[in-house]
Amino acid sequence: MKNKRSFTEELSPKQVLEIDACTQCGECLKHCPVQDVTNNPAVSPPEKIRMFREFIRSTDGLKAKLFGGAEADRKRLEDFTKAVYECTTCGACGQNCPVGIFTQRLWPTLRKEMVKRGLGPIGVQANLPKVITNSGNPYDKPAGDRYQPWFPVNVKVAERAGIGYYAGCTGAYEAQPMVRGDVLVLNAIGTPFTMLPPEEEVCCGFPLFITGQHDELEGLVKRLVAGYEARGVKTLVCSCPCCVNIMSRDWPAFYGKELPFTIRHITQFVASAIKEGKLRITKELRETVIYHDPCYLSRGVGVIEEPRDVLGSIPGVKVIEFERHGLNSRCCGSGGAARKVFHDNAIKMGRQTIDEAVKKKADRLILGCPACYAKVNEAMQGHDKQIKITDIMELVSGLLGERT
Amino acid sequence: MGTILIIAAYGVYAAFWIRFFLHALLWWKAVAGPAAIAGSPPLSVKACALSARDVVLFWRLLKVNPALWLGEWVFHASFLIVALRHLRYFFPIVPEWVWWFQTPGLIAGYVLPLSLIYILLVRRFSDQEKYSSPANMTLLAVLLIISSLGLLMATLYRADIVMVKLFIQGILCFSPAAAPDDILFLLHFSLVLVLIPLLPTHILTAPLVMLEAEKRELALPLVMHEK
Repeated sequence: MKNKRSFTEELSPKQVLEIDACTQCGECLKHCPVQDVTNNPAVSPPEKIRMFREFIRSTDGLKAKLFGGAEADRKRLEDFTKAVYECTTCGACGQNCPVGIFTQRLWPTLRKEMVKRGLGPIGVQANLPKVITNSGNPYDKPAGDRYQPWFPVNVKVAERAGIGYYAGCTGAYEAQPMVRGDVLVLNAIGTPFTMLPPEEEVCCGFPLFITGQHDELEGLVKRLVAGYEARGVKTLVCSCPCCVNIMSRDWPAFYGKELPFTIRHITQFVASAIKEGKLRITKELRETVIYHDPCYLSRGVGVIEEPRDVLGSIPGVKVIEFERHGLNSRCCGSGGAARKVFHDNAIKMGRQTIDEAVKKKADRLILGCPACYAKVNEAMQGHDKQIKITDIMELVSGLLGERT
Repeated sequence: MGTILIIAAYGVYAAFWIRFFLHALLWWKAVAGPAAIAGSPPLSVKACALSARDVVLFWRLLKVNPALWLGEWVFHASFLIVALRHLRYFFPIVPEWVWWFQTPGLIAGYVLPLSLIYILLVRRFSDQEKYSSPANMTLLAVLLIISSLGLLMATLYRADIVMVKLFIQGILCFSPAAAPDDILFLLHFSLVLVLIPLLPTHILTAPLVMLEAEKRELALPLVMHEK
């Protein structure tokens, strides 16, 4: 009887409207990275919407209201669940939707509905709530290893400061050159910054949010906000686009009110420091670099120019662009918590990113997201095309001169 | 045959209005309900103007697929003009402004099936087209037959428009009159009755989604930057 629950319970009224408004034109498919690598129409955005409309009709349609709802077919629900979790939630479909459906938010909401029905999440994603509750991070790594392997010994962290730095789980455990670069650059700027102790810097909640498992979110958010507030933080800086996205978009909702600090991506903070003369990149780099816009940073929160400003301030560097960049960037395959479950898809998408960078004759592929960093590096293993992959702050930290 | 068509017309008419009011309810709930993200931006004149552009010019489609946009925009515009031309059958005394649409409506009657054929060709033969909804294809096919029949009746095999008007007025006034003894008209009318339930509901809901999209896009640069 569980499946007779309304399919619109987790959706906002505007999202119900969005599902109704899809014209099934299929324009989104040209921009879907999962379509590119799978060619499977079942995972396409219009097909997912068409199926979900059927589910809604089965519980909320006029016939269902008059004569009682029919139970949705289990097999179809399972197929739909797989399709909605195979998506990387990059939002390119919504960006190119002729109607303007906000898919980067719609797919996670549909996942939440599937979780409530006991059908989602998929594979290892189902362990996330337990793992995060026990270890504080989605990788089930000890808190003691969160900073210790990469944190530079000469960098001092203040007990209290107006600037807070959140390393994030993926950066700390899977993309350590990136977070090391962040800390070195923050140190070079010279403004004191604080961090939570490793056992207190828990998951931001994004993996739970994106897989539709919202039960633990409020606790995590309140714990983190209280920690930074106690340290006098007024601006919280983070380099992970997914963390930044949930912090700015959703933390206020889970916290229950406006946050006591502003959220800034590291590139915003560093671009400002360069502009204000607090940071000077003195070493020259005679290279052509290509910057990949992380989906949750560009389409997600509109941070597009600052990474380019930072790269543009490096003497000697020539910045080139992917065919699809900025708001229209193409997913590298690591988004939406799909990379651990649909590994092959993610590797293929990562290789597409590498291939285009090589084709454009870039000397170096610059990334600004720990998940992209981890997966694209993994995708390059055993691939016939090779390129230097560097995080933007990893690059900057290696080119710093004296503090001005 | 005439009686069946009249009963069917009332059924379709009633179903259309039920559907319309259910969607009006959906609109109302959506306008009054919370947004998908916290801090949804307020309505602004700019957002309204941009969404009006999206609705009238299909601006978003133009940005992603200019070839398809051309066909879709011409189809929708010619469909609207042809529909306005048909209003002469719905008013007992035809207002002057309806007469303004008679000649443009006739021209649009030629354009309409051509635009549908163009859309079908773009969808069928474009390498970029990866997905064609069976429902959309059915709709296009029905529209193509209806518009072709209409064009035939307006040019080669003229229907008795006095009989047509009496028939339509009879339905509207709940005083049914005999259906014109014209196979093309009977087919045309029957297919319109088939078309109405097939009409996609996005016609009603897409404008509000476009407005939300414009609001969201205008607010995007403010998410992480100083307001």
